[in-house]
Amino acid sequence: MYDFHSIGLTPIQTLFLNVSALSLIGLALLRSERELNDQNLWAMLGLLAVFGISGRILLEPLPNIQPVTAIVLLAGIYYGGPRAFALAGTIALASNLLALGHGPWTLFQILGWGSVAITGALLSNQLLIDGKLCIGRVAVVAAVSGFIFNWIVSTSILIETDSSMLVPYLLNGLVFDLYHAAGNIAFVAWMATPLGDMMLRHRVAPANVAVGEFASN
Amino acid sequence: MNYNRPIPNPQLPMGTNNLKLASVLLIVTLAFLTPSIQEALSGEVANYVNDSESAHHGLPTEWEEKQVICVFFPSDYTHNEFYLGVTMIDSDGSVLGVNEELGDLAGACVGGIDGYDEGMAFMMDSTRIAGGRLAVGYELGEWGPFVHTIGGLNADEVRGEFSGAYWSLSHNDVESMVGIGDLVMSEGDVLSWSIMTW
Repeated sequence: MYDFHSIGLTPIQTLFLNVSALSLIGLALLRSERELNDQNLWAMLGLLAVFGISGRILLEPLPNIQPVTAIVLLAGIYYGGPRAFALAGTIALASNLLALGHGPWTLFQILGWGSVAITGALLSNQLLIDGKLCIGRVAVVAAVSGFIFNWIVSTSILIETDSSMLVPYLLNGLVFDLYHAAGNIAFVAWMATPLGDMMLRHRVAPANVAVGEFASN
Repeated sequence: MNYNRPIPNPQLPMGTNNLKLASVLLIVTLAFLTPSIQEALSGEVANYVNDSESAHHGLPTEWEEKQVICVFFPSDYTHNEFYLGVTMIDSDGSVLGVNEELGDLAGACVGGIDGYDEGMAFMMDSTRIAGGRLAVGYELGEWGPFVHTIGGLNADEVRGEFSGAYWSLSHNDVESMVGIGDLVMSEGDVLSWSIMTW
């Protein structure tokens, strides 16, 4: 009997299969979103989490090119810091536990993507004007976010080494930072507009704002 | 703030298509430039590596200013020959002696070599001096050679109360920031391999 599990694939074949799998998941999620009622924020966050986890695991053969940074940045822009931070943490923890390996670095990844989420929330008014995403600005912030995320995660080496090793460590990782930044620009270019439209449909007023408006009436 | 804005016009803003094309070109360009960028960075990183002087502690004095490679085996997986102390093998293959005063370290060092600037070439040539006793097994991965076996010990065979084990490379007593395939060496540098766990 032929053992299909032991089939040997080249890295390119693996990548092709993974991208195909991610495309199918993405299409299924798009279809699922259409069946949601508007302002179904938590279901939308769930779909984003599934896409982020799948994307991070399936694109693992590519060096530092994955959709998570762009997703949490957009989540920060549309849904605010706390929700986007929770999404960032969920994606980091779940993908590490499921496939990529959980360890002290998970905390740093949560902090890294959490920072991107908060950056998105803080710059929301500059990146989202009249419900329209300023793609160019978002791409710039996403590229910078790639570097910031990597540098935050890189500080995890201070657990084991002294600070003198940090500069050569960051220097050595510069190519990976560039890949992350370039990948983020690509994800923003290709995904931000359709994803942003979907996210806008499920945007709801934060509780404190709603209470404030109610009280003022 | 109005959170119930209408769905925006799905027509793409001008410039988005240009950005899509530019982003793909950027990644392709980066892929082409990666080897030269990484090479330049490895050279820069080498400037931060510790002075080799302290790394020569415990090694034969005639190896000062010379390049050395050491392989240390874990106590549960000793080498069938280099299991007591650290055997010092000179560049001509002769054994200079065994240093048993390096703590619990057990293994072998090959030294008295000079003129190498590429870590991988140095490793392959220097371990050959030990006549197969420190034979290196590696795979060529996407990011260069990945060493899995030295001196007959495959890191995958090392078991214990940990998730996994690997051969870890140190450059002048400091864990190397780059793999052996990207390591740039200077005169007097000491490379050492030992099993680490995660």
